[in-house]
Amino acid sequence: MSVQAEVDQPLIGQHNNDITAQTVSLWITPVSGLIFLAAFLIFPGFRPPMSPSMPADQVAAFFRDHTTSIRLSMIIFDICGVMLVPFFMLIVVQMKRMATPSHVFAYSYLSGVATGATLFAIADLFWLIAAFRPERSPNLVVLLNDMAWIVFTAPVGMLIAQNICLALAIYMDARPMPIFPKWVGHFNLVCAAVMTPAACAAVFRTGPLAWNGFVSFWLKISMFSLFVIVMFFMLRIAIKRQAFEEKGVA
Amino acid sequence: MTVISTPATPTKAVDAQKYRRPGKLDQWICFWSVPIFFTLFGLIFVALTRVMPPPSPNLTTTQVLYFFHHHALTIKIGFTMLMVVVGFASWTNGLVATHMKRMSVGSVWAYGYIAALAVGAIPGCIFAAFAFLTAVFRPDRNPHVMVLLYDMGLLMFIGSLGCFAAQYLIFALAILLDKNKIFPKWLAYVTIWQVVTEGLAAPVFIFKHGPFAWNGAISFWQGTAIFVFWQVCLLYLLHRAIKDQPLGEAVQDI
Amino acid sequence: MTLSTDASALSTAMPPENASVEDAQRPKDYLPGDFNMWVFVLGDMIIFAIYFIIFMVERTRDRTLFLASQQHLYQTIGLINTLVLLTSSWCMARAVRATRSGNSVQALRLVIGAAFCGIAFIAIKVVEWSLEIHHGYTLPRNDFFTFYFMLTGVHLFHVVMGLVILGVVVRELRNPDLRRVSMVEAGATYWHMVDLLWIVLFALIYVMR
Repeated sequence: MSVQAEVDQPLIGQHNNDITAQTVSLWITPVSGLIFLAAFLIFPGFRPPMSPSMPADQVAAFFRDHTTSIRLSMIIFDICGVMLVPFFMLIVVQMKRMATPSHVFAYSYLSGVATGATLFAIADLFWLIAAFRPERSPNLVVLLNDMAWIVFTAPVGMLIAQNICLALAIYMDARPMPIFPKWVGHFNLVCAAVMTPAACAAVFRTGPLAWNGFVSFWLKISMFSLFVIVMFFMLRIAIKRQAFEEKGVA
Repeated sequence: MTVISTPATPTKAVDAQKYRRPGKLDQWICFWSVPIFFTLFGLIFVALTRVMPPPSPNLTTTQVLYFFHHHALTIKIGFTMLMVVVGFASWTNGLVATHMKRMSVGSVWAYGYIAALAVGAIPGCIFAAFAFLTAVFRPDRNPHVMVLLYDMGLLMFIGSLGCFAAQYLIFALAILLDKNKIFPKWLAYVTIWQVVTEGLAAPVFIFKHGPFAWNGAISFWQGTAIFVFWQVCLLYLLHRAIKDQPLGEAVQDI
Repeated sequence: MTLSTDASALSTAMPPENASVEDAQRPKDYLPGDFNMWVFVLGDMIIFAIYFIIFMVERTRDRTLFLASQQHLYQTIGLINTLVLLTSSWCMARAVRATRSGNSVQALRLVIGAAFCGIAFIAIKVVEWSLEIHHGYTLPRNDFFTFYFMLTGVHLFHVVMGLVILGVVVRELRNPDLRRVSMVEAGATYWHMVDLLWIVLFALIYVMR
């Protein structure tokens, strides 16, 4: 018996570590969520979202008048913007636990996350560059502000591909007790559909599809937040179940 | 006592193996996404936004303004489509990486492949769209800024060399050293041409005309021809690799 | 050219008792090396041919500039490099014959010799480039020098790749379990291509009036 314990011991340790790492990653999510919320509320450009039809002088004046709060909020985004990556990697790890024919969706998801996170990191840098010298020619301030908003709002493709990936993986999971229930798959498809119209933010300057519009801004951000919240609870259940299963067998 | 000799297998692997859904449906879905999205990319970059074949780097400011004015609508349509479909490039990465993991060379290059392309997608594909979309978003911008965006978009699109050179090198090495014969060795050599092609595109940052400019015979046309050939080979061989993969094959996961 | 003589040398001069099992199983008119390497070599020659055609087209457009610029190249250094590569190819061809007759010690020595010639080629090329750059003839100077640096550069990259391939050949020759005639042949195929491309390149860029 003692020999067997020796054989099993390192593996059990490994599993516990795995569960610990996943749990820590999971709880990083609400913490970074709160930081995001704080930065979101500090950035004057989100309350309400800046209009794309603002003339150049006003945009330049905006950056001049709110330099401090823009810098503060965007530095927070700059530092914490990619802190959701552990959360997305949790999804990848759980996708790899699914009884799908192969891991192809997990790797596709990972690839999408890497690109998507970089895009978010670039967007806040543009705002920071604009706020660095607010005395710059208004033409250039508008340019930087436009690029920031377009990079921030329009490239929804990564999230769409990721959500479809995750949905398909959930549908194909053949475990008797699936990692995520089927409705999470449907939910992911809805997410993808709701976020798609935001791609038009680089084209429309007024209306619901403009980057300050209801669809491109409010609906997209709400949907993304809802996605994080739903997946948070689903992942929590999945990790708990994984810990239980592994303990049960050991 | 017999129990002792059997090493304990991680339970998660056991579960996933035991219940694993038979077939290759997920791989086929990813595979067929590749030709669909390449067609869309072709439509976007060639027919709509006129980034391929690229307009001349040697335009005057007025000509650049005319270019953006003349193609504004198609640039808007094309690049908005790109914003939606660009994510599916990650499916191709995932599929290639899945097969690289089946090779005898371990996972290091499979992960390297994903990482190199996940990075490369930004300067090499999406940023051209940002630059052009920003340009046509406000046609009344200062003309110098318009030229800046024109250069930024095209130089990033054609001149993003390193991410792809790294990806091709990784892929070629993996195929050459692999003993499981997932892909034939000649694909590795064809991939090495791609590395050379990336090197020959380096002078696009120097010249505004001639064969080494960003619309030049060597930097653009020959490079693109080799790329299309490579892509067709890859697609054909991926199809074969998926078809030949034994059902229920256990793939290393390290 | 060297390749065809190799192949004919095999059919006439190879003593059967020294032939390895691999050789014995081959038909008379087999392809030396391996198929994959031939795909690479033939494709690469097509790619280079297109570079050369584009070079010729540009040259006809601005003949005076190309001829005037050509005067600033070091024909002698180019010629020395041609001889270095030819020696190298000769070593490689003899290495193939030695391997086929089972004399792997000699083959190993010859392959290492070929590799040393390759290293010498790179060293001479670096000296030549530094001289050109020192005299102000850099890549953006004019169209001729762009072609000069890009084409010799791509060729040099092929030499470096060739050294890697020769390194693999040396490693396999050292180990009796890995030793394969086809591997040495594949290395030689590639190395002869590097030589051939250089000769064409030398003729077009350095010599042609």
